[in-house]
Amino acid sequence: MSGTESLEMSAFIVDRMEVGIFAVDSTMRVVLWNRFMATYSGQSADDMLGRNLFQMFPELPAKWLEKKIRNVFMLKNYAFTSWEQRPYLFRFSHSRPVTGGDEAMQQSCTFLPVKNRADQVRFVCVNLFDCTDIALFQRRLQGTVQELEREKEAQRRLIVKLEDAQGQLMQSEKLASIGQLAAGVAHEINNPIGFVNSNLGTLDNYVRDLLRLLDAYEEASSKAVAPPPNLEPVAALKQEVDFNFLKDDVRCLLSESKEGLERVKKIVQDLKDFARVDPTQEWLWTDLHKCLDSTLNVVSNEIKYKAQVVKHYGALPQVECMPSQLNQVFMNLLVNAAQAIVDKGVITVSTGVSDGWAWISVADTGSGIDPENIKRIFDPFFTTKPVGRGTGLGLSVSYSIVAKHGGRLEVESELGKGTTFSVHIPITQTHPDAEANAV
Amino acid sequence: MLNQEQQEALQEIANIGMGQAGSSIAQVFDHFVQLSIPRILILGADDLPSALEKLVNADQITAVRQAFHGRLRGEAIVLFGEQRCNDLADLLGYEHTPDHVNELELLLDVTNILVGACLGGIAAQLRSEIGFSAPSLMADRVPADALLRSEDLSWSTALLVEVNFRLEQRSFACHLVILMAQEEIRVMALALDRFLETYK
Repeated sequence: MSGTESLEMSAFIVDRMEVGIFAVDSTMRVVLWNRFMATYSGQSADDMLGRNLFQMFPELPAKWLEKKIRNVFMLKNYAFTSWEQRPYLFRFSHSRPVTGGDEAMQQSCTFLPVKNRADQVRFVCVNLFDCTDIALFQRRLQGTVQELEREKEAQRRLIVKLEDAQGQLMQSEKLASIGQLAAGVAHEINNPIGFVNSNLGTLDNYVRDLLRLLDAYEEASSKAVAPPPNLEPVAALKQEVDFNFLKDDVRCLLSESKEGLERVKKIVQDLKDFARVDPTQEWLWTDLHKCLDSTLNVVSNEIKYKAQVVKHYGALPQVECMPSQLNQVFMNLLVNAAQAIVDKGVITVSTGVSDGWAWISVADTGSGIDPENIKRIFDPFFTTKPVGRGTGLGLSVSYSIVAKHGGRLEVESELGKGTTFSVHIPITQTHPDAEANAV
Repeated sequence: MLNQEQQEALQEIANIGMGQAGSSIAQVFDHFVQLSIPRILILGADDLPSALEKLVNADQITAVRQAFHGRLRGEAIVLFGEQRCNDLADLLGYEHTPDHVNELELLLDVTNILVGACLGGIAAQLRSEIGFSAPSLMADRVPADALLRSEDLSWSTALLVEVNFRLEQRSFACHLVILMAQEEIRVMALALDRFLETYK
């Protein structure tokens, strides 16, 4: 190939390549403008050659682009632009007139220093590549990735929900099995308690009668003119058995036993409530403020020396619920609140509606719950109270009652600051039980 | 991989090359730019990630890489700290405070200028032509130790030339690292021998 031929071929290739090629001199005058540039810009090489690039294309970012080109002259080094950061230099229509694409051709450019033999940069040649296809593909890919990220996030949230649900399920599972056990135990214990209780009552009467009889004897013998003979062994025996003490103590023992039995009865009642073998409960539209007030009356004796009760009642509509059961919940929460207060404090009872749910909260200024214990407070038989003061059933009973209402029993506590229990229940029941019971 | 004489020659070439680079960069930015004396290291793939981590004293680093090719082949990485190079926007003709996208473009522009100037300087000393590919973002604010993982690197030994830049008035600083893997070090050794020949 001769030198001329080779030059011609190079010129031909530069003109016809599917890449935009143009060049400017140091005054920004165009010295080369290939066919690709002409086709997409609508300006032919004849129009462009010898003209100032920025005058011909006022839409170009002149300040930035001129600085970029000058740097190529100065540093004798390449420069680049990428469609990712700057979608295009020239606003060309893209090469997908039929199948469609972005609003404009996405371009990446290379700025090439064209040097002479003396290693001086005479021109800067710009190669402009059409990246519309890549850009489209990349954006679609990005869309897909974002979609995947969204789905992943949704799944993550779902897993958290599932874990919650599983936790609650385990809790209610535990409650249910303990409930069955409790129902059986309660039934078994109730019978002996019944006859022990009634026997104890009778025993009490008998002892009273016997003591009365003895008193009568004593009085009669002391008043007798001539005391009956042979009384000395009786007096000795009286001494021996410490009769005066025995007389007092037998009463004490009986009343203590009665108290103990009362306590057993209360525990059994709690167990029965917990097992809630009480199908007669009805769903009623109820004013919960009335419930709270009556419960406050019932427990006022337990509370009044410990705490001042502050009521923050909000606007609460009638709520479909089992009022006597909810009363029990309120009672538990109020008694617990009072017991949590060491010396003197405040119990704040608040109510309100949010998102179609009614809520009732009982906040105390008591000792708070240890974070270690907070997970276990709804477990049956879990108690931190001294032996004999709590059955460890109050909160699990409350929990199952609230759960039966389709609601939530939540707790927030800070050691040394106090605890807030809040009951959230739906205003209207969607529970199938509701319809069954309403009929 | 490089003998004493070659290493000394490379140090000399790098010193001169960076000096030239400094004056070109000063022309572009219209400000005097401080360059450190280039540091030349030969290290194994295992040591590179921690070496880069130690270089930049920042929790979050941004890195731009750019390949160079010709007789000398390799990649250059420019490491930016928290401040990146937003303070240079107006010096490169950006008219507004850069948003995130412009910020990335500015990083690429600055990298291209620094890499072009420094490698251009070295290549000129060695009288070899050098070309560049477009720079691309390697890491956008990642923890310093997450930049490179040695198990991803396919070479065992690399030549590293490190230089840092500082532009006091603009509170701008960055590190430039030129990396050539083992095959390329041999080419570099030959080029250095030729360079030494001319002085003998």
